[in-house]
Amino acid sequence: MRARIDGATAEVVRSYLLSAAREMKATLVRTAFNPVIYEVLDFGISMYDRNLDLIAEAPGLTMFLGANDYSVAKVVEYLGVEAFEDGDVVISNYPYWNAAHTYDASLIAPVFVPGLDGPFGYLCVRAHWADLGAKDPGYVLDSTDMHQEGIVFPGTKVFKRGEADREIIELIRFNSRMPDIVIGDFNAMVASLRTGERRLKETVAKFGRETVDSAIAAFLDHGEETTARALAGLPRGSWTAEDFIDDDGISDDPIPMKATVTITDDAFTVDFTGSAGTQKGPVNMPFGTTLAMCKVVFKALTTPDTPSNAGHSRALEVVAEPGNLFHAVYPAPTFTLWTGIVGLELLFKALAKAMPERFAASSGGDVPGFMMLGVHPDTGKFFALSNNDPVGWGASPHHDGANALIHLSESIVRNTPLEVLETNTTMFFERFELRRDSGGPGKHRGGLGLRRDIRFLSDGEFMTVMKKTKSRPWALAGGREPDANTVIAFPGTGKELRMSTRRIPVKAGDRVTVLTAGGGGHGAPRERDPALIAEDLRDGFVSPEAARRVYGRNRERYRDGN
Amino acid sequence: MSEKPLRLAVDIGGTFVDAIELDTATGEVRFRKAATTPRNPAAGVLDAVAALDTPLERTGLFTHGTTLGLNAVLERRGARVGIITNEGFRDIFLVGRANVPDAHMYDFTYARPAPIVRRHRIAGVEGRLDYRGAVMEELDESGVVDAARRLVDEHEVEAIAVCFLFSFIDPSHERRAQALIREACPETKVSISSDIAREHREYERTSTTVLDAYIRPIFERYVDDLEASLRERGFDGRFLVMRSGGGAMTAGAARLSPTNTVLSGPAGGITGGAFLARALDRRELITFDVGGTSLDVCTIEDGRATTAFEATLENHPLLVPVYDIRTIGAGGGSIAWLDAGLLNVGPESAGAEPGPICYRRGGTLPTVTDACLALGYIDPGGFLGGSMPLDREAACEGIRNTLAEPMSVTLEAAAAGVLDVLMARTVGAVRRITVERGRDPRESALLAFGGAGPMFAAMCGHEMDLEEMIVPNAPSGFSAWGMLSAEVVDDCSRTHISLLDELPPAELASIFEELERDAAASLRRQGVSDGRAVLLRQLELRYLGQEHAIPVDVGRTLDIAAIVRAFGDGHEARYGHRMDARVQVLNIRIRAVGEAEEPMLRELPPRGAGPCAPAPGSRRAWCFTTRRMSRFSTWRRQDLAPGDTIAGPALIDEGTSVTVMHTGQRLRVDRYGHLVIAMAEQGER
Repeated sequence: MRARIDGATAEVVRSYLLSAAREMKATLVRTAFNPVIYEVLDFGISMYDRNLDLIAEAPGLTMFLGANDYSVAKVVEYLGVEAFEDGDVVISNYPYWNAAHTYDASLIAPVFVPGLDGPFGYLCVRAHWADLGAKDPGYVLDSTDMHQEGIVFPGTKVFKRGEADREIIELIRFNSRMPDIVIGDFNAMVASLRTGERRLKETVAKFGRETVDSAIAAFLDHGEETTARALAGLPRGSWTAEDFIDDDGISDDPIPMKATVTITDDAFTVDFTGSAGTQKGPVNMPFGTTLAMCKVVFKALTTPDTPSNAGHSRALEVVAEPGNLFHAVYPAPTFTLWTGIVGLELLFKALAKAMPERFAASSGGDVPGFMMLGVHPDTGKFFALSNNDPVGWGASPHHDGANALIHLSESIVRNTPLEVLETNTTMFFERFELRRDSGGPGKHRGGLGLRRDIRFLSDGEFMTVMKKTKSRPWALAGGREPDANTVIAFPGTGKELRMSTRRIPVKAGDRVTVLTAGGGGHGAPRERDPALIAEDLRDGFVSPEAARRVYGRNRERYRDGN
Repeated sequence: MSEKPLRLAVDIGGTFVDAIELDTATGEVRFRKAATTPRNPAAGVLDAVAALDTPLERTGLFTHGTTLGLNAVLERRGARVGIITNEGFRDIFLVGRANVPDAHMYDFTYARPAPIVRRHRIAGVEGRLDYRGAVMEELDESGVVDAARRLVDEHEVEAIAVCFLFSFIDPSHERRAQALIREACPETKVSISSDIAREHREYERTSTTVLDAYIRPIFERYVDDLEASLRERGFDGRFLVMRSGGGAMTAGAARLSPTNTVLSGPAGGITGGAFLARALDRRELITFDVGGTSLDVCTIEDGRATTAFEATLENHPLLVPVYDIRTIGAGGGSIAWLDAGLLNVGPESAGAEPGPICYRRGGTLPTVTDACLALGYIDPGGFLGGSMPLDREAACEGIRNTLAEPMSVTLEAAAAGVLDVLMARTVGAVRRITVERGRDPRESALLAFGGAGPMFAAMCGHEMDLEEMIVPNAPSGFSAWGMLSAEVVDDCSRTHISLLDELPPAELASIFEELERDAAASLRRQGVSDGRAVLLRQLELRYLGQEHAIPVDVGRTLDIAAIVRAFGDGHEARYGHRMDARVQVLNIRIRAVGEAEEPMLRELPPRGAGPCAPAPGSRRAWCFTTRRMSRFSTWRRQDLAPGDTIAGPALIDEGTSVTVMHTGQRLRVDRYGHLVIAMAEQGER
């Protein structure tokens, strides 16, 4: 069903809609209160037509690609199309519908245009909220059901016909430990929706509704067509991979995950059958989050360079039965979404079997994060500051993995400078260096992870959110696996402790060492070019002992041959 | 001064060197182009000067725009640099902020480009300050000497960048290290971070210092050679180099801080735009610079171009002031193509070779220029003053075959579609830059320049509902013209993180005074007399807990309550709200400006008796208001005089560019010869 519209007009309309989505993003970023929104880009913005097809998007985090699709569909289903009126804004953070944990609340607004009874389309802004009253301040690591994770809205109007519902807003305010920031961010999200609404209405007025409808149909078809073309270039077959996430934050047992990717002529199917079932701790994945994770992989594989629309994911099918680790059901706790980070690489692991030329080995397996909370002795004020650390990226079939980059699930996010961390907390860093010998050996070496030695100058709490500490990042094609992520609290003392996802009290003078994993190696180490081994030794990426041990067979060549 | 009434400005671009001469006695401006000579850039500059035949002994001021430093980084031609930093922290430069560039978001096998400093050329030495500047560990002086000797002797380092943690609070360790290295290795150049960028954030400061060390030798050589060549040819006036963030500096100052020049490519046009904004009292402008491969927009607010304090160069952060520019990768040479039925423009460009189809140099893919030719905007026989005939038939044929027929539309609709797509993107970029700054673009006028800017100005203004579009004189050489208006500028800054209400005004005043002394001394060294030096005080402020700070102008008397109010106003304008939180000082800044001496604009004589300029002819072209081919009147720009008005649709040709205006628009020539386009109702007022 090809729409009768020329390619120039369709592209111009698409540009206007994308520009509107980007203006929504600019509005959110410039008006948000919470640094997690404007620094860590912990948000997703998207625009839908009345068939609930994604027509434009301005993603922040990689993992939020298409994350709103499921949420909007669920809210429209829950309320019914007839319930929407011009000027309404609906809040939703029920994790099983909203495709995220409770703190990633979405605001959804219908957009009405003249000559149409129902909504012309919908806008959705999702962002991380600073606090909605969960059991612990900061972050929740060990909840055992949804009700410990904050106040929940299933799809509740906070604006009715343009009028704010003060009662609902007061309910939010009184349920937050940081009400000013939360209400500030709420207002920023509403401002973003209003920007998008104005632009979408202007666009329809400028081009006419029928032209916009035809243009949308044309570029959705274009998305589907370009994706189908890319899909046709992929191998046919079925590939399975397995991995573990460390534990659920309650017990110490490793949790198995399994994914099977099947590519046929017209579909790309991801099936999580065989993964663990519902866990007691908050590592369960809402199904919408699982869908978003699969969209990221599919998009990266087929059309990475064009902005997303619904056409791009028409060929994607995701299977995870309710109760699977990847399909949480009420009242399973879902707060730590790190399962999705490890899960993203699980899909790569399966696909690497299908397309060994296109995939790299594992990249450290995780986004290792830490946070310190305490009272600053200089000011007497409470502080809480977090940082995400880089990992070594996996070696690819064509080159060494990159050293110390943020994990590919949120790779455009930046770390926090040492001078900012030391000024605002009482952490004193004694070392910030690449972790020598941490790159998985191989013909192509995995990138190096990072080592930080921290000394605390005052008492406080230290928290890490780190997975893949108990299993190593996987390698490919005969490459070797590097050491896993490791956090050692109080090293060299009687109370030395290995941490993964955990909160501990610390005293002035205590130390913690954070060692992030490198990337997996690719290809047999004995095939490594001796000149590269010599360079690694010269640059200190590899120690002489490790070089002898790992690359021993061509030792003479790199020693003498260069 | 009157013995040397001439001013010269020379701007090196990708394909041409533009040279412009202003006679301050008569106000007369002359303009020439020469080919860029990438291997020996000074030769192209001298060629362009020779083409103008300006008597150099009568030239008082030579202003130069060069992106030599940028090219050195792009082509990895800089010095062999070593880094000395704290023991245990040698990977700050290599790790950076650990992020992947946005454009590679979905590239899961991303490889970092090879670093400009390899790890074995990075050494750590003991000596550590804490966040207050307190010494946690004394500087290991013999360790500094050993490290420097090792870098120079074993690793053949030519320049050393020194960057220690918290040196922005107390630079004494870095200064001591610099003295020790100079003594131990007198041949080696040393850059220390507290001199180059005394601001917080260790990676950004290190990166800026490393780039400084990297480009300095090549930059010094170039400036020295060029200056010597000019002197040989009789020049003994002042030699200024354009800065990336406004104004210029003497060649001597540029040798000491070449990082300030690296992003000066588009700076001339914006400097000129800011000058015009003040001179014409049209203080809100959007500059619209369209060249062969890119389209740059920048906003001018209250007569000042908006600047940012941090830039990125090849993924390296640079803590230098730069104009805040948005770039779209599409210009006259950009290729239009069908992507599974959707019409796309760029980012591939046909460049100068093979160029657009109409150049007849082997180009086979239709470009924006081909579309403009097909739509009748460009006179095929009048391009570059008739020196380069264009093949309109071939352009039409290319568009018909690759765009119109596959889309089943007419040739004109396909060609117009190319410009529609380009305009839709432009509108998006302008809206974003203005929305980010909390401004409404409709309050600004558009200033269009660059070879292709005047062709799209009226279309773009119409699309965005702007009141006025201005086309300056010689728009294709406007960037060089803008350099003539550049004043000597220097910026001095210091990070001083402190709550505003806890910072004693006397302490703040003394930091300002110290920076002002440095800035005034810098201007004096650059030949600006104290009477002409204007010192602007700025604080970069934020609410406690925020990361981003916004600049607030501060007067001579430091009224803290007034500063807090001004910050709140700025925050509200830009971010839509103000907060009850405490205000924190991040950076303290001084911008020192040496005020220009002579007026730059000359009023043109009004038309004598007789009728308004006669219309020499007409041409069929595509009208974006009526969306069909219409008859456009055609005019030669040199025939126009102040006060003339022209009703659209019309084409005003001046050889190196064409101004296009559509039905319902009206053009007026102001007293300086600028073309001012508005909607007819406004024009007729």
